[in-house]
Amino acid sequence: MARTSTPLTELARLGFADLGGSAERLAALPDAGERILPCFAEAADPDGALLCLLRLRERDPARVDAVLADRDAAARLIRLLGASEGLAAFLQRHPEELGPSLERAWLTPPDQPAFTASLSEAAAGRTGEDAWAPVRIRYRRELVRLTLWDLEAETPTAVLDRVAAALADLAGAALEVALQVARRGSRFPAAEVAQTRLAVIGMGKCGARELNYLSDVDVIFVGESAGSTDEKAKSPGISDERALEIGMRLAMDAMRAIHEAGAEPGLWEVDANLRPEGKAGALVRTLDSHVAYYERWAQGWEFQAQLKARPIAGDAALGAAYVERVGPMVWASSGRDGFVEQVQRMRERVTAHIPTGEVDAQLKLGPGGLRDVEFTIQLLQLVHGAHDASLRIRSTLGALTALADGGYVGREEAAEFAADSRLLRLLEHRVQLRRMRRTHLMPGEGDARRVLARAARIPGGAAGLTATWQRTRRQVRGLHERLFYRPLLSAVAALPDEGFALTSGQAEARLAAIGFADPAGALRHIAALTSGISRRASIQRTLLPVILQWLSEGADPDYGLLAFRRLSDDLGESHWFLRMLRDSSGAAQRLSSVLSSSRFVGVLFERIPEAAAWLGGDGELRPRALETLREESAATVSRYGDDVEGAALALRTSRRREVLRLALAAILGVIDVEELGRGLAAVTTALLQGVLALAHRDGDGIEFGIVAMGRYGGEELGFGSDADVVYVYRVAGAEPEDAVRTAERIVRELNRLTEDLRLPLELDIGLRPEGRNGAVVRSIDSYRAYYARWSLTWEAQALLRARGVAGDASVLREFERMADGIRYPRVLTDGDLREVRRIKARVEAERLPRGADPTRHLKLGRGSLSDVEWLVQLLQLRHGARVPGLRTTSTMQALAGAVAVELISPGDAARLRDAWVLASRARSGLTLWTVTTTDVLPVERRSLEGVARLLEYPPGGAAALEEDYLRTTRLARQVFERLFYGPPSGADAPGRRT
Amino acid sequence: MDKQRDFVLRTIEERGVKFVRLWFTDVVGTLKSVALAPAEVEGAFTEGVGFDGSAIEGLTRFYEADVLAHPDPATFQILPWRGEVDPTARMFCDITTPDGQPAVADPRNVLKRSLAAASEAGFTFYIHPEIEFYLLKSSKLENGVPVPVDSAGFFDNVPGGTAHDFRRRSVRMLEDLGISVEFSHHEAGPGQNEIDLRYADALTMADNVMTFRTVVKEVAIEQGSYATFMPKPLAGHPGSGMHTHVSLFEGDTNAFYDTGGQYQLSQIGRQFIAGLLRHAPEITAVTNQFVNSYKRLWGGDEAPSYVTWGHNNRSSLVRVPLYKPNKGQSARVEYRGMDSAANPYLAFSLMLAAGLRGIQNGYELPAEAEGDIWSMTDTERRALGYDPLPASLDRALTVMEQSELVAETLGEQVFNYVLLNKRREWAQYRAQVTPFELASNLEML
Repeated sequence: MARTSTPLTELARLGFADLGGSAERLAALPDAGERILPCFAEAADPDGALLCLLRLRERDPARVDAVLADRDAAARLIRLLGASEGLAAFLQRHPEELGPSLERAWLTPPDQPAFTASLSEAAAGRTGEDAWAPVRIRYRRELVRLTLWDLEAETPTAVLDRVAAALADLAGAALEVALQVARRGSRFPAAEVAQTRLAVIGMGKCGARELNYLSDVDVIFVGESAGSTDEKAKSPGISDERALEIGMRLAMDAMRAIHEAGAEPGLWEVDANLRPEGKAGALVRTLDSHVAYYERWAQGWEFQAQLKARPIAGDAALGAAYVERVGPMVWASSGRDGFVEQVQRMRERVTAHIPTGEVDAQLKLGPGGLRDVEFTIQLLQLVHGAHDASLRIRSTLGALTALADGGYVGREEAAEFAADSRLLRLLEHRVQLRRMRRTHLMPGEGDARRVLARAARIPGGAAGLTATWQRTRRQVRGLHERLFYRPLLSAVAALPDEGFALTSGQAEARLAAIGFADPAGALRHIAALTSGISRRASIQRTLLPVILQWLSEGADPDYGLLAFRRLSDDLGESHWFLRMLRDSSGAAQRLSSVLSSSRFVGVLFERIPEAAAWLGGDGELRPRALETLREESAATVSRYGDDVEGAALALRTSRRREVLRLALAAILGVIDVEELGRGLAAVTTALLQGVLALAHRDGDGIEFGIVAMGRYGGEELGFGSDADVVYVYRVAGAEPEDAVRTAERIVRELNRLTEDLRLPLELDIGLRPEGRNGAVVRSIDSYRAYYARWSLTWEAQALLRARGVAGDASVLREFERMADGIRYPRVLTDGDLREVRRIKARVEAERLPRGADPTRHLKLGRGSLSDVEWLVQLLQLRHGARVPGLRTTSTMQALAGAVAVELISPGDAARLRDAWVLASRARSGLTLWTVTTTDVLPVERRSLEGVARLLEYPPGGAAALEEDYLRTTRLARQVFERLFYGPPSGADAPGRRT
Repeated sequence: MDKQRDFVLRTIEERGVKFVRLWFTDVVGTLKSVALAPAEVEGAFTEGVGFDGSAIEGLTRFYEADVLAHPDPATFQILPWRGEVDPTARMFCDITTPDGQPAVADPRNVLKRSLAAASEAGFTFYIHPEIEFYLLKSSKLENGVPVPVDSAGFFDNVPGGTAHDFRRRSVRMLEDLGISVEFSHHEAGPGQNEIDLRYADALTMADNVMTFRTVVKEVAIEQGSYATFMPKPLAGHPGSGMHTHVSLFEGDTNAFYDTGGQYQLSQIGRQFIAGLLRHAPEITAVTNQFVNSYKRLWGGDEAPSYVTWGHNNRSSLVRVPLYKPNKGQSARVEYRGMDSAANPYLAFSLMLAAGLRGIQNGYELPAEAEGDIWSMTDTERRALGYDPLPASLDRALTVMEQSELVAETLGEQVFNYVLLNKRREWAQYRAQVTPFELASNLEML
């Protein structure tokens, strides 16, 4: 009968979770498990250990009971079973291994020759495939012993490096013996096999002696004939070709011995894909062929892999010769073309390709993961190792120490990150050990995490582990900045808390590696920003490293740094600026990002540095409502009283400030292009209202109004757009002749007072009646008379976007009412229709600048802004009188209105809208990137890239933007041609464009 | 790759090569060449060779002049017609912009992109073309027409004939250049010959077609005659087509083959044909890119004018040839529309894209055409749903302009360039007053 004498509280204290179940299971053991019970306290997973133990005992009661009789052996077994189901399965398969595996623990792990001796003994007398199983079993016996040594350590992180090295040595031994076995079993003549030299070079983690419990082992094979080097004379031997043929067979057999499926499962994958030409290349090459390859063709990435190369098995002399000859080439790689791009790609590898849902569980990938640590250290090695041989060290942590010793990174940081990195490695080891699977994922919350915490000896159970891990990840996330960027400052400023300084050459090498085109100039800016004892300098010393990192992610880091320096000079000691930089990392990041992507913003910032304060959140970046702006204008005007010049200056300053706000919002994606258009129109209106109040004083005998036209009327302005307007007045007491003169004086004043060299505002009156020959300003009666007499279709079309924006409300209202009668005609005759089409066709031919590529012109080009606008306007002219939804000055609203009454299909409208939005965005992006306003999508790659980045394409997106733009506008043009010109009258109709 | 590059550099040394020609193709399909001294070749592999692309039709936008040519070492061959004095070799190139992006307007890049898309769907694309051309006494006209070297006909064995020597010499040279020839014979027209190349993957074959044209022209010059690939040089005789046999492989299996299918054609094969047929009018401006191409297409003599398919029906646009039982690997589809003057890179890309579209969208294959389509009346053809191919370059361009398939496959810039360039050709053609008009109108009107 089962007896449940063990109090459940005792089990709970030992760490059992399933108390009832485990108590019952314990009862099945001899003496109800009482004697071995305390051992479970040392098991990471006591419940699991107990289950495995019972299963094992069913398999081989005699051997298990023998172990249990020995208290020490029992403790080791339970510790092992609690940590690794994978190794438990091994013992389950081979209970005869129980005894040897659980022998007294090592003092320190054996070296590779000792492992080799052990594995070799297991293979004794066997050849070829017959030897595979015994070697694998022996490997696992050694692995069990190593695991026990690891698990018994009081401080697991302290022995981590030794364990990782021993795992690499054990892997090397396995390859060595696999090779011996392959040689013995070879079908080639024994004499020829003996003449074949073959070395295995370990790469990656194995090469660096920092192997995990379970990972692929990366190798490269080198082979040649024993007669082919210095012994050439005395031994004619076999040819190199023959040696390579034999060597390839040996290498393949050795790899199969390690990983081919069998009764005793394979150990791990041997991965030879880092060899020259990867999978396509020959598995075995001669040393000369390797050298020739790297001399001539190798990619930077392959050099990075060579950082870790180490002979691990086979012909030691040949392996050593390989490392000696290939090694030096690694260090020349940072001077190669394309190094910066390769670094960026390396960086992407760090964060990219994480399956969604794993991001928060990854130990290896992602920000703050192990690969982040490796990337930073390897990058520093490549940048500085070219000139400093002491950095040429294989292991990650060894290299970190060397970097600190050489004064490339701070000692304190180095120590801290070594500790963090070991902790992450330890967790990775324990996670892999559990099932002997190659995984880098933290187990989910709960029991599995509790077990992991016990295995890694981290106090506090699951919660403690989670907290420790999160803290470590956070620290590591800052690692790159602290190790890579922060020391840059030491080259130009004494850092009190650092015991070292980079030379300027070293610092420039680092800046060049991350994409600064003029590293010397950048270093001067860094010097200016960080030198001195001011509070600003000291805060910037703290902050600049991370700002440099953010700048380097933008399209133009050099300009970004210059602009940042200017901003900092302007703002001097402003408390809020320093506080913002210090306390709000979001704001500092946004600042870096806008400065390195837009010269337009950089220039405006020089005038309005205080705008940096808005970057703290989205609130200040929202466009301000027209009402608010209008009130501010009115307040400014009344505040300045008779000081017209002062008031105008204040109004212009407000405009610059609001334009900057919109530019920041547009770059940071706070507003879309339609909100931007409305925002810019509102800013213009507020300025005009203020300035008009200055120019048009009460009692001058007329009513005066400004009517917005064109894109301004449609609230579709972009950066750098002209503001199309017409002016109107009505006599209100003055003599008619005086009234004209007064109105003209007002217009002159408007032009004078709005003039701004920094941020030009062109008041364009080209859309007035009679165009260039027409009067600058007309009375409302004159407009009415004119339109009654000459109502030309193009003028009706121009009026579609007429919208009163400033001045006396009654005259504006009257103008709009008059306009309604013209722009929404009850009937559009066939003649009128033909006229609109003809003008458009002529405009297409004439207005495009000479030599401009129609497919790239953002405004007048194929399927771009003006095509969409003309089509929408034609719909408004034809149907506006009948369809209220068309009676709007906004192109996109009118388009939506047309869809609503099925004048145009949703599909066609979407194509038009896409093209209109993309062309508008590209136009604004272009102004933001270059400051100057151009209407042509650039062909020059750098500008195209800059615009693409502003349009949120990933780095290298220039070609994608180009293709998207050309496609989108081509599709829009098809719709335009069909709907605007109508179907072609015959397939061979002449004069159709391409 | 490095093995091939090593081989190239070694061969240049061993064979004492004096010049290396870098070959590439413009959008129209004309072969271009830049010559290098042997010492410059290694640099060309690592960095490419810069040249001013603005002079080259459609290769680059006119304001972005600087481009780089990167030789593909796998295409290295010593040119046999230069003899052993000053041996000269050639390699095909990929064109890139200075920042290393493939030049969008490089036709070779267009084909590479298309093949990559096919490979993502799991397919490799093989091609076997039958290339026809005329051998003339010279490029000079007599009485306004070209003069062929002989007046023999289909499969005629002309004793002591120029054509015979010519073909023997050409085949020899092609073999020297690593291009395997399947078959060669005299064609139906006087002086007209056909040489069939053994199948190869599409990129290699496009390179081979370019080489082929050069070889044929070189041999003709060597023998004192003149070769032309003009689609229809003689009004009363058949034009020069390039019937193109294509097959898709999935791994090592021919995806067109199915023992149980009609004509042993698999579902994939049927869908591929359906794609070719549905999009044939759209791609015609590329497969038949000259004004003259339409004189062949609509000139009778077995040239396919209607969008139909058939088994061994010589008047069909797409033919499913008969192959021997148990030869599943040779299952293929023959596209008979293309002519010998097409740009093979672009034309192969479009055929592939059209066929793949059929597979991806599961197009239904229409009924097989039976009987001689040429001898039917218009109404009969209409009733049977046999649509005509475009009747002129202008029609073809109008149809192509609406084609998303073509735009997507060629890329926006090549697409646009082809339209512009070909519309210009059409406009120039339309401005001509032809002998036909003079003969039929001048005296009558």
